[in-house]
Amino acid sequence: MRVHDIAVALALGAALVTAPLAGTSTAQAQLKIVTSTTDLYDIAKQVGGNKITATHIGEGYQDPHFIEAKPSFVLQLRNADVWAFVGLDLEIGWMPLLLQGARNPKLQPGQPGYVDASRVITVLDVGRGNVDRSQGDVHPLGNPHYWLDPENGRRIARLFRETFSKLDAKNASVYEANEKAFTQRLDAAERTWQADLAKIKGQPVVAWHTSWRYLAEYTGMNIVGFMEPKPGVPPSPAHLAGLIQTMKQTRAKVIVMEPFYDRKTADFVASKTGAKVLVLPPSVGGTKGLGDYIQLMTSDIHQLAAAL
Amino acid sequence: MSGTSAHHARAYGIQAMLWGAFVTVVVASAPASAQRDTTRRDTTSRRTPSDSARIADSIAVVRELERLQREPRAENPGQQPQGPTNPRLLPDISAVGDLIGDLSPKGSTQEGGERFNVREVEVAVQAAVDPYFRGDVFLGISDLERISIEQAYLTAMALPWALEVRLGRYLMPVGKQNTTHRHDLHAIDYPYVIQRFFSDEGLKGTGIYASKIFAPFGFYQELILTAVDRFGEPTDGLVTIEPVNKKLSGLGYSARLRNYWDLSQASNIELSFSGITGKREQPVLGGDPTLGTPARQSVIGTDFTYRWRPLQQGLYKSFIVQAELMQQINEKDPTLELPSGVSPDGLLYGGPTRNFTGGYAFARYQLTRRGYLGARFDSFQDEAAEGSATNAVSGYLEFFPSEFSKLMVGYERYAPAEGSSTNRILLQATFALGPHKPHPF
Repeated sequence: MRVHDIAVALALGAALVTAPLAGTSTAQAQLKIVTSTTDLYDIAKQVGGNKITATHIGEGYQDPHFIEAKPSFVLQLRNADVWAFVGLDLEIGWMPLLLQGARNPKLQPGQPGYVDASRVITVLDVGRGNVDRSQGDVHPLGNPHYWLDPENGRRIARLFRETFSKLDAKNASVYEANEKAFTQRLDAAERTWQADLAKIKGQPVVAWHTSWRYLAEYTGMNIVGFMEPKPGVPPSPAHLAGLIQTMKQTRAKVIVMEPFYDRKTADFVASKTGAKVLVLPPSVGGTKGLGDYIQLMTSDIHQLAAAL
Repeated sequence: MSGTSAHHARAYGIQAMLWGAFVTVVVASAPASAQRDTTRRDTTSRRTPSDSARIADSIAVVRELERLQREPRAENPGQQPQGPTNPRLLPDISAVGDLIGDLSPKGSTQEGGERFNVREVEVAVQAAVDPYFRGDVFLGISDLERISIEQAYLTAMALPWALEVRLGRYLMPVGKQNTTHRHDLHAIDYPYVIQRFFSDEGLKGTGIYASKIFAPFGFYQELILTAVDRFGEPTDGLVTIEPVNKKLSGLGYSARLRNYWDLSQASNIELSFSGITGKREQPVLGGDPTLGTPARQSVIGTDFTYRWRPLQQGLYKSFIVQAELMQQINEKDPTLELPSGVSPDGLLYGGPTRNFTGGYAFARYQLTRRGYLGARFDSFQDEAAEGSATNAVSGYLEFFPSEFSKLMVGYERYAPAEGSSTNRILLQATFALGPHKPHPF
């Protein structure tokens, strides 16, 4: 055998030798949940309690549209029982690669483990008429940032309870009790928000992206303009000039933006209008201390009220 | 219609209208009734328990209706995503245009000599075939090659042990950049080592592809094995007495082992090893110039990629450095396979009789949200110059107006092993139509 045959044989052999080591997984009683965002992760943990293990792909301070489909995420999904995601094409830039890479039949569309949380949501901004990319990075199925409405938090919890109960019927009563407890905590928190909500209602604000549409619907704040001229399109000087006029006319005092955008542009607009830039975390873990969904909602509403 | 029937119809219509008006009034007054019920609890206490239960039920229903009415979120309930988003089961159809400009000062360096060229339009049709398979078809359309099947493969989706198997034509999993569509590269062309060892358009193969992921050592590993009809495309103008793949040993076989580690949330590395072997036509000198003989050729290589992208500022900052090293290993003295009646006297093997090595190093830094600066150094032992090194240095400025379009300008200094150096100035514009595709990783 010649040198090159030996080299090729070694490469093939080394690969083949390691192949039988593949797929070593240990059976565990707990359901394994992987979620696309920290918000779904936290609600899943609230409902699943100690009967599940959960991980998430995106971080709360990361733009969920632009997560990289890293192979290490494939490993998380490979042995998962449930893949829960926001849907409405929020994860379209990376989810297909991960699901295809994971080769986990439990997570394929139509299976109980494939959980599109948007199917229990009343969706805003559903595309009408002719939708195309001249309108920016549109989501024709609707705005996917729906978790920033506590009613949708309850719906997601209900969906998780149903899903977990279907996959793990013996612990159905635990999931039901956990969901009820979560809902009660959310109800109690909501009662403490009333003074803040009263301050926010009707107040004009400018938002960077359409992430805050559901929060606006819930709080009654009035989004009079967006920093982005179209979804996903960075602001142009001409757009900002118009936006500054709009803010002066409407007396918008606050620019709400996510932590993953560059705030220099927002600061510029604020300097021209006397407005305040409010960097609000749109997701659990978006800033330190926001460890769960109820804390996120409480903090965002309180910060908004304080800024207005 | 008879007169009696018409009369009955009119009477029925009037009746229906009256009932409709009555129902409308009742429904319209329901919230008000409910409001009264909720404020007169003391008066209802005299009713029987069954009446109270019925009324309580009604109140609950009305309250639920009121709550739903109060919800301003139901902007378009008729278009909820619960229904199918693709009721006609149409496949995803997309197209990518790849336009090239060549402003090199000493003339175009493109294959066809064009200054401006639609290098390729790729049309993709992709969908699940059934519960077991997914189908992906990529057709390439170019001025030079007309329509060609770039890739067309069936992927088995329901195999045990996390196996993935593909049947069809695909980009060969050999090396790192060869697995990327040319229009998705961070540079305008494939690295020279890929162009020279495989082809300008990379290496494709038709056959079976099997992949398995595993993590016995705690990090991601993937093994990909393929068996394809042959190694590379047939050599133009050469004829062998028998197909190079007549024997199974003449097919193309490849293996790739990927190893991936997260260094932190923001950075990761991949170190992979690849190899491919097969028989290819090589020229025979001293006789008919079209006469060829099969000879084994193999390519082994390793590739390394480091990526950095901070999670919070990932829209604006990223960095990638990548390098590949490949060696082409050639059969030195193959037995000439000649047609019957052709004497081997005076005939010599005209294929490569030594090995060649090549590689590249590439880096790309993100300048702004939409702008990137890249550079690449290429070097390979040139078969046409008896193995002397040909080098190239290039730089690229990429601008992404959106995820669906890219504009690039590139400069390259190409220093061949023999002859004078060349400066190349290249422009590229790509655009994508159709459904949002996953971002390549």
